[in-house]
Amino acid sequence: MNLDLTWRLLKGGGRKGLLGVWLTLGAVAVSTALLLFAVAANLAFDARAERGAWRNPVPVAKDAAAKDAVAVEASRFDYVRDRAITVVDLAALRPDAAPPPGLPRFPKPGETWLSPALAELARELLPAELGDRYPRPAGVLGDEALVYPGELVAVVGHAPDAPAMTAERSDDWIVGKPPVRVASLAGTPSEDAEAYKVLAVIASVLMVVPLLVFGGAAARLTVARRDRRLAALRLVGATPGQVVRMTVAEAVLVALAGALVGAVAFALAVPLLTLIEIQGGAWFAGDLFPGLAVLAGVLVAVPLLVGLSAVAGLRRVVVSPLGVAKRETPPGMRFVRVLALLAVLAAFPMLTQGTSVAIVAVALGLAFLCLNLAGPWVVGLIGRITAGTARGPARLLAGRRLVDDPRSAWRTVSGVALTGFVAGFLGLLSPGAFAQADGPPQLRVLAPAGQAEQVAGQARERLAAAKVPAVVTVVKRTVVAAPSGPLDAAAMDRARTALAGLVPGRTPTTEADERGFGDQLLADVRVGTIVVLSVSFLVAIASAGITAASSVLDRRQTYGLLRLAGTPLEVLDRARRAETLIPLGVMGGGAILVGAFCATPFMIGGVSVAGVVTLVVCVVLGFAGVIGAGALSRPLLRSVTADPAPRPD
Amino acid sequence: MNDVLVGRALVKRFGQTVALGGVDIAVRAGEAVAIMGPSGSGKSTLLHCLAGIMRPDEGEVHLLGQRIDAMGERKRSALRRTRFGFVFQFGQLLPELPAEENVALPLMLGGVSRQQAVRQAREWFAPLGLPGMETRRPGELSGGQAQRVAIARALVTRPAVVFADEPTGALDQRTGQDTMRLLVEATRHNDASLIVVTHDPNVAAWCDRTVEVRDGHLVTMSGATA
Repeated sequence: MNLDLTWRLLKGGGRKGLLGVWLTLGAVAVSTALLLFAVAANLAFDARAERGAWRNPVPVAKDAAAKDAVAVEASRFDYVRDRAITVVDLAALRPDAAPPPGLPRFPKPGETWLSPALAELARELLPAELGDRYPRPAGVLGDEALVYPGELVAVVGHAPDAPAMTAERSDDWIVGKPPVRVASLAGTPSEDAEAYKVLAVIASVLMVVPLLVFGGAAARLTVARRDRRLAALRLVGATPGQVVRMTVAEAVLVALAGALVGAVAFALAVPLLTLIEIQGGAWFAGDLFPGLAVLAGVLVAVPLLVGLSAVAGLRRVVVSPLGVAKRETPPGMRFVRVLALLAVLAAFPMLTQGTSVAIVAVALGLAFLCLNLAGPWVVGLIGRITAGTARGPARLLAGRRLVDDPRSAWRTVSGVALTGFVAGFLGLLSPGAFAQADGPPQLRVLAPAGQAEQVAGQARERLAAAKVPAVVTVVKRTVVAAPSGPLDAAAMDRARTALAGLVPGRTPTTEADERGFGDQLLADVRVGTIVVLSVSFLVAIASAGITAASSVLDRRQTYGLLRLAGTPLEVLDRARRAETLIPLGVMGGGAILVGAFCATPFMIGGVSVAGVVTLVVCVVLGFAGVIGAGALSRPLLRSVTADPAPRPD
Repeated sequence: MNDVLVGRALVKRFGQTVALGGVDIAVRAGEAVAIMGPSGSGKSTLLHCLAGIMRPDEGEVHLLGQRIDAMGERKRSALRRTRFGFVFQFGQLLPELPAEENVALPLMLGGVSRQQAVRQAREWFAPLGLPGMETRRPGELSGGQAQRVAIARALVTRPAVVFADEPTGALDQRTGQDTMRLLVEATRHNDASLIVVTHDPNVAAWCDRTVEVRDGHLVTMSGATA
């Protein structure tokens, strides 16, 4: 019966009522799509880590080495046209050794399997630039072997006693993995894959908290619209249980529709999202589809959360029906909200770079939530100051409204304030100033002990044969080849090809090659920052737009009567703007400072200029976005006040 | 000729419905006129046309000899703010503002400084029986008290005409009578005319005369003639 009544009330809400429903639906849809994105991003990094695990061998236990080992595996990095190639050297110890993922059979000694992108590149470039580095290609690797589409991978088969499988190698994981005996090629996710997963978790926390706040705001938006009607139902004798059930039914109904729309929107956006390049490449679409179980989970969780938020918002109506109907002075915010934030902030500097990521993520989340708790209190304070110092009607109205309902004013600006927190945090965190001036490139390779001169001689011969003029010198054990002529990318690749296999298991590399991994990580942090900020902005702006529109709808009677008594539309609009802008300025700025403060324990190499520029751009865009989104509801304000006397009688 | 507000041959239609079918009405300075009639008769529409809230489809409205129905929305808005005052059944006070600021708001909208506006607003509280209520918010006032604050707000700008739409509709009879007495007295004291829309003969009895609207036409008049 309740559901039936709810449905009829929902349908019979009139045009303005339906507009409110659409706003809630839109808000939930945006939240769901972005939530799916946050979840999918984590799963996608997991999927990448899993798919790349086979290249990160797990050595068999020493005592079991002889009987359990099925293969020898090593990996290293090679370079072509300044792009990294992952080269995996494999040798079977048993004829029944299972092949790695993406290969139909175990590679035989003397054959190479190339990833599709590398095979394509090998066809495009001269053999002297790339193809000659590896034995004859036997086939193309399947996608299961690749971390991302377009990745450059070569799997080279060897005999177990081949020099490449026995020679000493660096054990620096950035340069590659020395040969080890393995019981299977399952491997384990590499350290850098794990680091990316952690970064993804932090990014998700930063994205999800504003999303939850936004979703909650959307739910309360439903309740706010229904406040008066539900209070009326209470007054005519509906039990608290009935009122709660009706509200929850309505909120959940709308939220479910919104969640479905959001899921479809996310699915449509996946092709675009796959283009975001991280770890050197774009994404497989399959990685970004979170799977049916997760999808179902989100579709259940979102309406549930919205329902819970609606219940929380309803407490006032249920506890005191007259509370909403009569608009008494709202209870003051407790200062303890600010104390909570101060406590978390005081604890933050104690965290160091050595602290476990889980604790950092929790602390970050806590700081975020406490900022959200302290927000309404500060908005109330700003309201009292604004109202106290106002000279004109617009600021007076704005100030009094902030005091009257600081939570709703906070809802409007919380998005940007929380984005400010993210921007402040990441702005300082992303270290952007590591670019170094490169000298002329020199290929260097470490020779086996006592063989440096001999290796240098071979290098000279090979380079001369490849027609790459170069000066080859020996620095301790390192052979350094400095090409002397004009050096384009093709000549560099000829030199690399000429020197390939010079020292078994080692690749000649330049300084830039070795720095490439650090540069890649920094570039990825920057991409991640932009993604997180874009999401936060989208949430902030959508939140501002929806809250502004719903506030016009909620106050349409007051606005109508004010216009009727001759208040110019501009005054109403100015009051509305001031109501958003004053707390936005104070809270946005404050949140950026809090975010920056929280970032200080993790700052690497001082303040980054790129970070600060990103931060400033964010603030400008955020403010402009919120003002723009607020301005969008001006036509709505005009329409609800255009005909102040709609009744014929 | 001391007519303050004159409506001539006013016609207003809502789709197929004729709310006003050619109404002539004149209100003199300081006069209190009750507009009565059953629901749907067009009495509120007449009030809205006279107050410049709504434009009649035909006919003219003059305030102190100046035609107001042909003015643009901005001018009519300014006119409503400066020359007219309004009292409604409920909901006209801003719930966020304390009573004194609700009363001061029209003055501030007219450019009076906040300090001056609040000082002027406070002067209305004692005469209207609201001493000590200045800083209460509307939610903390009784229905009768809220209506008296609304009366103060309608009169604070010293308007030429006060329009009241069912001003006692949400009050009990005794409070309603008190409120009407205060409304009529305060309006008269300020040399303003009063136009009250009501369906309650007890309310109408407070006025100098009553006009009745039925099916969009004035059908009877009582008290002094126009």
